[in-house]
Amino acid sequence: MASISVPLGGTGTAEVPRPKLRVSDFLRWSVDHKVIGVQYMVTAFFFFIVGGTLAMVMRTELLTPNLDIVTTGSQYNTLFSMHGLIMIFLWIIPMFAGFGNYLVPLQLGAKDMAFPWLNALAFWLIPPAGLLLLASMLVGAPEAGWTMYPPLSTLYSGDGQTLAALALHILGISSILGGINFIVTIKNMRPEGMGWWQMPLFCWAILATSIIVVMATPFLAGALTLLILDRVAGTAFFNPTAGGDPLLWQNVFWFYSHPAVYIMVLPGMGILSEVLSIHSRKSVFGYKMIAMSSMAIALIGFTVWAHHMFTSIQPQLRIPFMVTSMIIAVPTGIKIFSWLGTLWGGKLRLNGALLFGIGFLSMFVIGGITGVMLAAIPFDIHVHDTYFVVSHFHFVLFGGSVFAIYAGIYHWFPKITGRMLNLRLSRIHFVLTYLGFFFTFFPMHIAGMLGMPRRVAVYAPEFQSINRLISLSAFVLGISTFVLVYNVIISLRSGTVAGANPWRALTLEWATTSPPPATNFIGDPVPFPDPYGYGTPEAAAYLDAIDKEFGAPEVPVDKPAAPIVSEAPAGTD
Amino acid sequence: MTSDLTEQQLSREELQALRNKRTGLAIFQVSWIMVFVVLILVNLQLRNNAPSWPPPGVDQLSPIIPTLMTLALIISSFLVRQGTRALKAGEHAQFLSQWRIAIGLGTLFVVVMAVEWITVPASGQYSDLFRLMVGFHGVHALVIGGFLVNVYRHEAQYDQLHFWPVEAAANLWYFVTVAWLLFFVVLYVI
Repeated sequence: MASISVPLGGTGTAEVPRPKLRVSDFLRWSVDHKVIGVQYMVTAFFFFIVGGTLAMVMRTELLTPNLDIVTTGSQYNTLFSMHGLIMIFLWIIPMFAGFGNYLVPLQLGAKDMAFPWLNALAFWLIPPAGLLLLASMLVGAPEAGWTMYPPLSTLYSGDGQTLAALALHILGISSILGGINFIVTIKNMRPEGMGWWQMPLFCWAILATSIIVVMATPFLAGALTLLILDRVAGTAFFNPTAGGDPLLWQNVFWFYSHPAVYIMVLPGMGILSEVLSIHSRKSVFGYKMIAMSSMAIALIGFTVWAHHMFTSIQPQLRIPFMVTSMIIAVPTGIKIFSWLGTLWGGKLRLNGALLFGIGFLSMFVIGGITGVMLAAIPFDIHVHDTYFVVSHFHFVLFGGSVFAIYAGIYHWFPKITGRMLNLRLSRIHFVLTYLGFFFTFFPMHIAGMLGMPRRVAVYAPEFQSINRLISLSAFVLGISTFVLVYNVIISLRSGTVAGANPWRALTLEWATTSPPPATNFIGDPVPFPDPYGYGTPEAAAYLDAIDKEFGAPEVPVDKPAAPIVSEAPAGTD
Repeated sequence: MTSDLTEQQLSREELQALRNKRTGLAIFQVSWIMVFVVLILVNLQLRNNAPSWPPPGVDQLSPIIPTLMTLALIISSFLVRQGTRALKAGEHAQFLSQWRIAIGLGTLFVVVMAVEWITVPASGQYSDLFRLMVGFHGVHALVIGGFLVNVYRHEAQYDQLHFWPVEAAANLWYFVTVAWLLFFVVLYVI
């Protein structure tokens, strides 16, 4: 590079007005994407605690093979149905929407999203929908699982199923509005000097996710409309005795819900690309491959839905869906190897962000491999509806998505709040979560292969010891969450002041104060040509210019070496 | 293109906002048409399951009146397009007259299809699917038709530089037309 680019002209200390946001600012309508992002995240985290509490009740019930704290199987049905619905629709999806809201405009150097008002509307649909979903437990709770297969959801569930379907309808509309906003923002609002191939990988991931959201979520809307009509308007679209077809639901639902699996993990993969590169001080290995594999996953994700229906579709359709399901492991594998290549030989900072990033890598690989196992029809038929499946999707959704969320929280908390999280507590959180997670969900593979069915409160006595292990580990996992909560609370009060760019990162969200002012940037920021070009003199100059502009962080993260040393060209090995 | 000439008079921020709105609306259209596609797939799967379609003893719905209504909707869409162009070219009177006829044809479509919806004889899945699809489309036609009426009521606010609500309403009306053409093929042609 001939010229050294600097973020804001590098003309000395910028006079940036410090934003003074009070708690009450987050409780009312705001069109500032940063406020909305925090609103999303805090709301989602609340529902994470609710859903987690339901899981703890389930694991307590499963300590013994008999009914203990629930009195009927129906109550247990309610527990796992609500757990699934809350965790998917009110925790993971809105949490990633929160990250996207906060970060996409910042990473693009924009002042806000393309449609700020629409953005606020999309958020404010969520709390009422969440309350509606919780209220469904009071009027004959949904008992049909998060997949809501008819006739369970039409003939055997109470009125709560209708409320739950309405709640999901509202959440789906919220998702679509958010998705449209993200695509327009990313397509139209990139700054000068940031072509598609200079865009941060998190933005690529949000773009791929949003494409899935806008193309797939209407299928959920259609399916839920039919379900509600069947329940309240006397139609019989899913009732085979009146010419309907229960498989209709499975097809339409999974045509949404399988792509939705990628809605729930692609943003996490985006977070991981940022975290691994920044905290190993190395350029991302295979930037274009990571970006394009996100798009490939988004595309192939639409062709695999029937692998959820291997036991119910016509046998001749199984093989094509087995093949596509295995093909989709390829772009995922490309990402995994790219991330390993990114870490390899880097100067790793073992902080909360990178630890959870590495945790994601190890656990997601297990989830991915069991996914390929499940794609193989003979094996799938053997473990169909057993704990093996439960284990698989928790490895993907907890070991994948939630670990990525944790990594993202540790990584961007300094930007959002202006304070660092406590390093020791973040490591304790990681160890407890990692071990608790592994010993909760790994033994489920074994229980499943031995034949323990999912969605039951009463099981064969020979599974008791393994269920004890699972439940005790689950309690550790549950408690570990509160280490993070405690860390957040004490760090908000007394954490080290972060400064603009504590991680010495090159993407644009770090080229402004922490937290950023209402307009995000003073003037139009100039992006560094390569968002992951760590280890070059140009990058060092760019980062020094940020420090000069906003003041260097009080405590350098790369102890004992001064930050400038970590940017030396030799650092790339 | 006249519209390009007028857009050159917009400021950088206004142009960016216009570009965003256009992209956003286009993505919404591609996204929301998928709900109509879902209903078509539902229709096709249930039809495929049935021994015959329409089921034995049920009369095929007559396509004559709906075909005329489809023509009315297409003409109204075309007039909306001409009207938007006239507005951007500064021919306000022409915009109004074309918009007025378009609203009239759209109203005719909605009213006649509502009568079809009410009078269809109950025949299990066949009539349920008909009511579902025509009703779902009708809700969209009503709401978006409301946008057309609203534009007409506030016509004085729109001119060569302030045309976005008109353009948006027109684009959404094309959406109603395209969605109906898809449904028309499934309900009456095949």
